[in-house]
Amino acid sequence: MATDPWKSPADLFDEAAGIISPSIFADRDIYKLELERVFSKSWLFIAHETHIPKTGDYFATHMAEDPVVAVRQKDGSVRVFMNQCRHRGMKICRTDGGNAKAFTCTYHGWAYDIGGDLVSVPLEEKSFVGLDKSQWGARQARVESYKGLIFATWNMEAPCLSDYLGDAAFYLDAVLDRSAAGTEVIGGITKWVIPCNWKLAAEQFCSDMYHGLFSHGSIFTAASIPPSSLNTGRQFRAARGGHGTGFFVRSVPEMKITNAGERVAGYDPVADEKAAVARLGTRGGLFVQHMTIFPSFSFFAGFNSLRVWHPRGPDKVEVWAFTIVEKDASAATKEQLRISSTRTFSPAGTWEQDDGENWVEIQRVLRGHEARRTSFNIQMGMGRDYGTDPDLPGSKRQALSEDAARGFYAHWLTLMTQPDKAYAKGGNPLQAAE
Amino acid sequence: MTFVRVCSENEVPPGEALRTESAAGPVALFNVDGEFFAIEDTCSHGQWSLADGYLTGDKIECTLHMAKFCVRTGKACTLPATKPVKIFPVERRGEDVLVDFDGGRYAA
Ligand code: FES
Ligand SMILES: [Fe+2]
Repeated sequence: MATDPWKSPADLFDEAAGIISPSIFADRDIYKLELERVFSKSWLFIAHETHIPKTGDYFATHMAEDPVVAVRQKDGSVRVFMNQCRHRGMKICRTDGGNAKAFTCTYHGWAYDIGGDLVSVPLEEKSFVGLDKSQWGARQARVESYKGLIFATWNMEAPCLSDYLGDAAFYLDAVLDRSAAGTEVIGGITKWVIPCNWKLAAEQFCSDMYHGLFSHGSIFTAASIPPSSLNTGRQFRAARGGHGTGFFVRSVPEMKITNAGERVAGYDPVADEKAAVARLGTRGGLFVQHMTIFPSFSFFAGFNSLRVWHPRGPDKVEVWAFTIVEKDASAATKEQLRISSTRTFSPAGTWEQDDGENWVEIQRVLRGHEARRTSFNIQMGMGRDYGTDPDLPGSKRQALSEDAARGFYAHWLTLMTQPDKAYAKGGNPLQAAE
Repeated sequence: MTFVRVCSENEVPPGEALRTESAAGPVALFNVDGEFFAIEDTCSHGQWSLADGYLTGDKIECTLHMAKFCVRTGKACTLPATKPVKIFPVERRGEDVLVDFDGGRYAA
């Protein structure tokens, strides 16, 4: 069993004092434990249902560092399994996505059906005695969906997905449930690497409206957003689970378009929003909503950029971002969102570059020995009572706070200080795996 | 020799295949630009349905290990397959396509 690389959990994050250690963004041992204790224990975002509509459609992705394949089955269900051959561990799927009838390992030819079950072993009769193929399928994750989003986990004891999302689902609906028709993906996936720790990104989307006024100040100015519209902020910290979101409730529909430059003919954000408000009430008109579902799934509503932060070591994150729209939206709305999300939240996007610039510099500073021993302040909003909003359960009447960030790190710390039961028992890791 | 009706020709468009069960085991029927051919459905290499494969011209590629067979002769055209599959006589009566399941044999 790994020994914890800290003396006391409060050395990492002390919620009562509002202090956080920079080592959690840079330390390799902490990162290794995160893979085991955070990522292998949590529900992780996999894909949107419309990425894989038909039988045999597959989508290759990762659960943290582990490569997996999500495949649509004949009965309409989705399976998610390790992209790792059980013979010598070669990838069994070497393309990003498409439609398959089987997955054949390119090394020695072991072949798996679309459910990941082993169906063929070359020279089986000649060279193996009593090989039980049913025991050597690809390792299966547990899979569940919420309103078009497919999640999976390795934790067979985890609560069901809807309990995991808990009270945060209400806010997820602000982007997933704007129309009875549901959502669909437009365009492909943008993938890029940012040399920064995954938590800098995930925490920001969870909680940080604060930086917007400064880091994105030029966008706010260019978009002529009246500063007064920013006085209606709310922040939500999930009762448990580390999820969080922040937003303004007085909508400025024009903002979406002003930021995005030219308007697609026929795009009518005011009408779009009216329809959503009719369905969802206040939630239909949230403005600049950022959100993280712990640990690594985030979105920015309005431009509808959804993304997963795949960790790639303590100092790298691989972003996979895509855009969703209401299935029944007009062609103009779909086209506008495609353009707007690319212009704002993509590697060259206006907002994205502001954020990345900060995260990359923070990470560079953390190469320093002394920098890693210099604690950070996470006290914003502590000791303040902002009041609640009956329309928006769990939210406080102030978006400029770090309460949701403290919720994110509190849940992170709970997981980090709970060793994997199977490993803790000192048991055989091979048995623990099954 | 007993020819048994398998399907009507428009049920299997050109480039497509149909898998059918018979006393002689599963048989795959292919439409190659309007000409019909029947061969053993199970790949001689990896125990997989050839009807599930990709048909290009008169060659069927198994989706499991990419072995190719000629649907006219049943012969293996590429590794990893080394053995042929049986071929079955096919007859057309009007719109119907019939196969003689007793007539399975390896091509000379
Ligand atoms: S590693 Fe996959 S068949 Fe050998
Ligand atoms: Fe930002």
